[in-house]
Amino acid sequence: MASRRSTRNDNDQRVTFSRPLFIALLVVSGALIAFDRPASRSDAFGAFRAAFTDLAAPLLELGAQPIRSVKGIGPYFRRQGDLAEENARLRQQLIEARYWEDLAYRQRDRIEIYEDALDVETPMIEDRIGAWTVADPQGPFVQARLIGRGLEAGIRDGYPVINLYGLVGRVYETGRRSARVLLLTDLNSRIPVMADRSNARAILIGDNSDYPRLEYVGRAPDLQEGDRIVSSGDGGILPRGLPVGEAIQTRSGEWRVRLYSDQAPVDFVWVWPYQRIVPPDQEPDETDLQLPPASLPVIVEPPQTDAGEAEAVAPEADATVEEQP
Amino acid sequence: MRKPTDRQSPWLAALGCVLSILLALIMQAAPTRLVDGVNIMPTWPLVAIFLWSGVRPQFMPPIAIFAIGLTQDLLTGAPMGVWALSYLIAIAAFRFRGEDGMPRDLPPVILRFAGTLLLAHGIAFTAGSFALEQMADLQPLIIEIVATLLMFPLVAYLVLRRRRGGRTGFIGG
Repeated sequence: MASRRSTRNDNDQRVTFSRPLFIALLVVSGALIAFDRPASRSDAFGAFRAAFTDLAAPLLELGAQPIRSVKGIGPYFRRQGDLAEENARLRQQLIEARYWEDLAYRQRDRIEIYEDALDVETPMIEDRIGAWTVADPQGPFVQARLIGRGLEAGIRDGYPVINLYGLVGRVYETGRRSARVLLLTDLNSRIPVMADRSNARAILIGDNSDYPRLEYVGRAPDLQEGDRIVSSGDGGILPRGLPVGEAIQTRSGEWRVRLYSDQAPVDFVWVWPYQRIVPPDQEPDETDLQLPPASLPVIVEPPQTDAGEAEAVAPEADATVEEQP
Repeated sequence: MRKPTDRQSPWLAALGCVLSILLALIMQAAPTRLVDGVNIMPTWPLVAIFLWSGVRPQFMPPIAIFAIGLTQDLLTGAPMGVWALSYLIAIAAFRFRGEDGMPRDLPPVILRFAGTLLLAHGIAFTAGSFALEQMADLQPLIIEIVATLLMFPLVAYLVLRRRRGGRTGFIGG
């Protein structure tokens, strides 16, 4: 029968479960919980977490290798009978895709011409950064994936993450060689989206279920079952038009989204470097940028006989503006 | 009667303890969803802590339990301290005391582990909800509890069998 002693002898070896240490660790744990809340996490805690995942990433990657090598076994045996049919269907889709590919190139060229003509500046989307999932923590507190690339590969907090089918989530914790991706299904995920057909706006809110909710859709939203939901780009958090999923309506009338990214396990993903659009009130000071103000008129000085006088009228900044096309 | 060689391999046992804990932590965070149909993961670190604190209590002082819990927090992205606190309290409440340590029969071990598991997850749910400032998702916790309860007897059986077999150098007697 168990006794109430805090220490005991285990044969010759004294085994201690030190009560003061135990209490001290309880206090430390409580303090960590209080100070490491996701909503108000300090930079120091964030940096510590990122450094730890950096250290753990190679080990986790090692652990993920055997899993990755057997991941195809289940579907392989299950789908053997359907392979021929699927192959024929894919060939047909490939033929159709070639037409769309050609069309996409032509549309891209046209858009470039229009954008040049209109002097429209679209958010810059650079080359995608590929990364493997090295950890897939499952639990009640966070729905996230750890990927095996970080700051060294050019990944930064807030960058969107997609897989072959659609948007997976956003980067929210970046280490040097690893980064954590907050999934769209996580409790803390909030993404501005819209229906591709009607441009009806909504916020996609994760609730740990497989089908995140569409909130703030208005009283009579212009949504239909099966509407393609894409990122709206509102707030500049994400680029516009990233495929998210399909709208579905529950029996209670609530709108939810069946995520495209769920069509396959999130294994290999792409991180899209994306420069967030900064609102004017949050823009850095113009003096920091060392750029001439665009609204100032270009001063073209007539030739002066007195060099000192000309220098006083036409400052160097304006001379720089004059050179701009 | 114990053989003289029984107690000659504390380093081997310590190595086994470290490796099993490491394996449990990696499995907890591993991308097992990649394998078709494997979406449920038992709480392996708690299984390892519980069994090692039963067979080799000297390997599981509070600081080790805290470190394992904290590592799990960091690996899984949970707020720091949630699992550390849960494991500390649960193991302190349900650990095997007395001269004999863990009994050699399976039912009392399973029963005590069930208590540990429920208490740990209850504390984790409360602490996690506090840290997230909203109710944590109860469903994955319940699934984890069920999965762990289903898997634990097998692991415990193997450990107890090894203990009964008298090969105490590795796991302990």
